[in-house]
Amino acid sequence: MSSDVLLSVKDISILSEDRQCNIVDTISFDVMEGSIHSIIGPNGAGKSTLGYAIMGVYHPCSGKIFFKGKDITDLSITERAKRGITLAWQTPARFDGLSVYDYIGVGVKDKNLIEQRVREALEIVNLDPDVYIKRKVDANLSGGERKRIELASVIAMRPKLVILDEAEAGMDLIVLESFMDIFNKIKELGMTILLITHREDIGMVSDNSTLLWEGKVLVNGPFREVMLHYCEKAGLKQICNRTLFERFDQFINGIIKDET
Amino acid sequence: MSDKIDSGEILKSLGKYDLDISNFLPEHKGPKLVLNFNKISTISQVEGVILKGHEIENGVIADIIIKEGTVLEDPIHLCFGVNKETGLQEIFPRIIAEDNSSVTLQAHCSFPNAKNLIHKMFGHIYIGKNCKFVYNETHFHGYTGGATVAPVSYVYVGENSYFENNFFLTQGTIGRMKIQIDIYAFKDSIINSNVKAFGKNSLDSIRVRDAVFLEGENARSIIKMKAAAIGGGEVMMFGITEGNAANTTGHVDCTEIVKDRGSRCRAIPLIRATDESCHITHEASLGKVDSAQLNALMARGLDEDEATDLIIKNML
Repeated sequence: MSSDVLLSVKDISILSEDRQCNIVDTISFDVMEGSIHSIIGPNGAGKSTLGYAIMGVYHPCSGKIFFKGKDITDLSITERAKRGITLAWQTPARFDGLSVYDYIGVGVKDKNLIEQRVREALEIVNLDPDVYIKRKVDANLSGGERKRIELASVIAMRPKLVILDEAEAGMDLIVLESFMDIFNKIKELGMTILLITHREDIGMVSDNSTLLWEGKVLVNGPFREVMLHYCEKAGLKQICNRTLFERFDQFINGIIKDET
Repeated sequence: MSDKIDSGEILKSLGKYDLDISNFLPEHKGPKLVLNFNKISTISQVEGVILKGHEIENGVIADIIIKEGTVLEDPIHLCFGVNKETGLQEIFPRIIAEDNSSVTLQAHCSFPNAKNLIHKMFGHIYIGKNCKFVYNETHFHGYTGGATVAPVSYVYVGENSYFENNFFLTQGTIGRMKIQIDIYAFKDSIINSNVKAFGKNSLDSIRVRDAVFLEGENARSIIKMKAAAIGGGEVMMFGITEGNAANTTGHVDCTEIVKDRGSRCRAIPLIRATDESCHITHEASLGKVDSAQLNALMARGLDEDEATDLIIKNML
């Protein structure tokens, strides 16, 4: 993991549509290049809103967003994508008539590489390219298939920063296991991941975390430390100690065993 | 009556619009009726299909009978082409699909040089019991916008039969177009009607009326209408479904995208139920491209125009 900061969010605030409150309130954190950084917090904490603000869907009323040291706060979604940021949507859009091949290939800059990238990305998300390439990104895909195709499309694009907005939402447990592998594969391909999740077991893959609570950052730091704060804040400390950290330790030990 | 060079020219004009016409060229052996303006240039038949044409003052009466139990793998090809810039073409198709038959009918209407050209059609299709009948109609009106096209069709779908209508009007400049298809669905029949239209500039004015009357119990239908209007084009979709018998089910779905100043889309779904056991629904969306779709493509690096064009192209 590089020690360079890839994304820096400085004191950003985002107003609600009725302009009565801040959905996100003076948030700051850094994402290191090559890392998996998770944004965790309960429902309604502002996690997805923050992700959309980094992608350019929402614009903050104050604060700045820097990407590779450059201020991107006022850039459009397209301009941010061209600089190397993309987002896998929590509820991916469906398109009448658009093939899986064309959807995944749309972000591949070198048109000579489209087929190779599309096939490779489908294989990474455990979908058979020969079966899926000609299918349409429409209502005939299941929710799980659509989620995997969304991940494949960001993998094929090879951005510098991938924002994964609850990529695991709606997945069954068997699929969740493979998602851990997919996240690690994305990291191996040189992409930095900003992982938005409210599942602690998914957050375990992250190097660093930011805990959001009612639109504010409670703590930034290593995942385990952040989770302790999360459990304390939620009044779940005993449960966390008994279950979560046992699982966390098993997870870490598992990785150590694999590496040795 | 045979004039294969002319029919080939008309068909090849379709190839300008990126269509695969290999199955419809003169050397292809399938059943076909090809017109050059108001003259019959080719008729070929196969066993189980009677195909006859009668030339009249400004057009042709086309009689097609698919005999009982006939199952055709190749589509019956109708090509109504006019290479001239001006004129009037009137077509009167009278089609009967007898019981237990299965057939696809592919109609191509090509007017590549139209400047002041009028094409009218007044067709009747009678489908017997236990049939499968697919009707595909694709139009190409060149780029001058000088065509006025007004096809009217009445379709009667017999007991336990399936009728699919695919009417695509998406290539080139359309001109003035007014389409009407009325489908009467009898007991246990299924209707699947799809219309796609693309108005690309201020010369294009497209009006589509797609109506299904569910007259027999348990008849079911879906009408899907998709359209886009850009560059000042105008599209109006009128989707009608009436449930007039017990346990009938119907849905009208209309999606229209509008882009550019002066472009207009209208959707008028009209649904009616005259029996308490009917279930008739409609759904319509008009306006700009769905923002979730736009954002998804822009997050992969397309700008808004590129994303909109891709969405429209694939939708149609």
